[in-house]
Amino acid sequence: MADLVFRLPDLAEGLEDAEVVEWRVAEGDRVALNQVIGDLQTAKATVEIPSPCAGQVLRLHAAPGDLVRVGEPLVTFAVDEAGPGVVGRVPPDRARVRRVRLRPPES
Amino acid sequence: MPELSMVQALNAALRHCLREDPRTLVFGEDVGRLGGVFRVTDGLQSEFGQARVFDTPLAESGIMGIAIGLAMAGWRPVPEIQFDGFSFPALDQVLTNLAKYRGRSRGAYDMAVALRLPSFGGIGGPEHHSESPETLYAHTAGLKVVAPSRPQDAFDLLVRAVEDPDPVVFLEPKSRYWAREEVSLTPSPAGGARVARAGEHATLVAWGGMVQRCLEVAEAAEEDGVSLEVVDLRWLAPLDEETLVASVARTGRAVVVHEAPRTAGFGAEVSARLMERCFGSLRAPVLRVTGWDVPYPAASAEHEYIPSVDRVLLAVQRVLDA
Repeated sequence: MADLVFRLPDLAEGLEDAEVVEWRVAEGDRVALNQVIGDLQTAKATVEIPSPCAGQVLRLHAAPGDLVRVGEPLVTFAVDEAGPGVVGRVPPDRARVRRVRLRPPES
Repeated sequence: MPELSMVQALNAALRHCLREDPRTLVFGEDVGRLGGVFRVTDGLQSEFGQARVFDTPLAESGIMGIAIGLAMAGWRPVPEIQFDGFSFPALDQVLTNLAKYRGRSRGAYDMAVALRLPSFGGIGGPEHHSESPETLYAHTAGLKVVAPSRPQDAFDLLVRAVEDPDPVVFLEPKSRYWAREEVSLTPSPAGGARVARAGEHATLVAWGGMVQRCLEVAEAAEEDGVSLEVVDLRWLAPLDEETLVASVARTGRAVVVHEAPRTAGFGAEVSARLMERCFGSLRAPVLRVTGWDVPYPAASAEHEYIPSVDRVLLAVQRVLDA
């Protein structure tokens, strides 16, 4: 058994967050892959969220009415194997990336 | 003051204009019943009715033709073209009539059109949804061109664009649509360019979505002891040369950042003006960090196309070393 944290994936079109409309599962429920687990509303649409895995719902990280930002945990599942599931593309790090360092001017 | 996203600030600006001036009309594809694909016109049709906020057919040239005719009849049309790339079918109307009617009629007709144009990339859009058309419009005499970078400016500048008797192309940076800040809903006469961050070693010049990128660069540079000034041009036409020149005359170094391709992009105009006005105080050539000279790439590659923090930092190093 392993835990799988399902984070709110990149919603595209520059959208930064989504509101939980309702959950269709409760903590403790067993779910199948692609089973609809809830509804999320973005500024543009309300969408059904399919489960990214088969397993047991350990934790729902947000309640109906809560705003979840892209990359934040949405649901934690207990799964048989922590294999790669289809969980959408989560931006690895929203913080800026830099490799270049500057040398300040002398004068 | 309420904290608003840029989308909400634009919505508030349109609501203000519809309320204050009965000549204001809002129309375009899906702006009425749906409230706009980005929600900018959300709720306006139900508040102001279908005669003042209405849907049009999918025909951009027609949308502009309607706007021009209404403006000649004394209305203040605020048409929306849904995406930058869809503004090209309307170019004939824009270049041939919108930009010219005030002059052609020797001022007899106002051309009080504020053309709202969701613009630029960075949101993973498909083809035709991520173009940077500012140079086309800034090069067309008779048009004013403005691009806000933050919610407060979006509100102030849109109100001003709608009230302007000249045609204004209003470029909305889609990548900043969901950025939030506290917004005063009392319109203030937003001037020309603004210094978005004060600094001393070099000036970064940008507009629209790239202002935020330059602010990120300035923060990164500060960690290395380099102090960068960021000038947000806001208006590309007319260009506020004085704010620009005052900054670069002091820092002696400038890097212009835009998403549009480099060749004949608006950065070339900024660079030329700085050369003309600041030649004696420049300590390095004015550099440009831009999109590449290729058609806008697929969403999976756009992070390689849009100027990154690192690409701007490399240019900063070059002007510091010159």
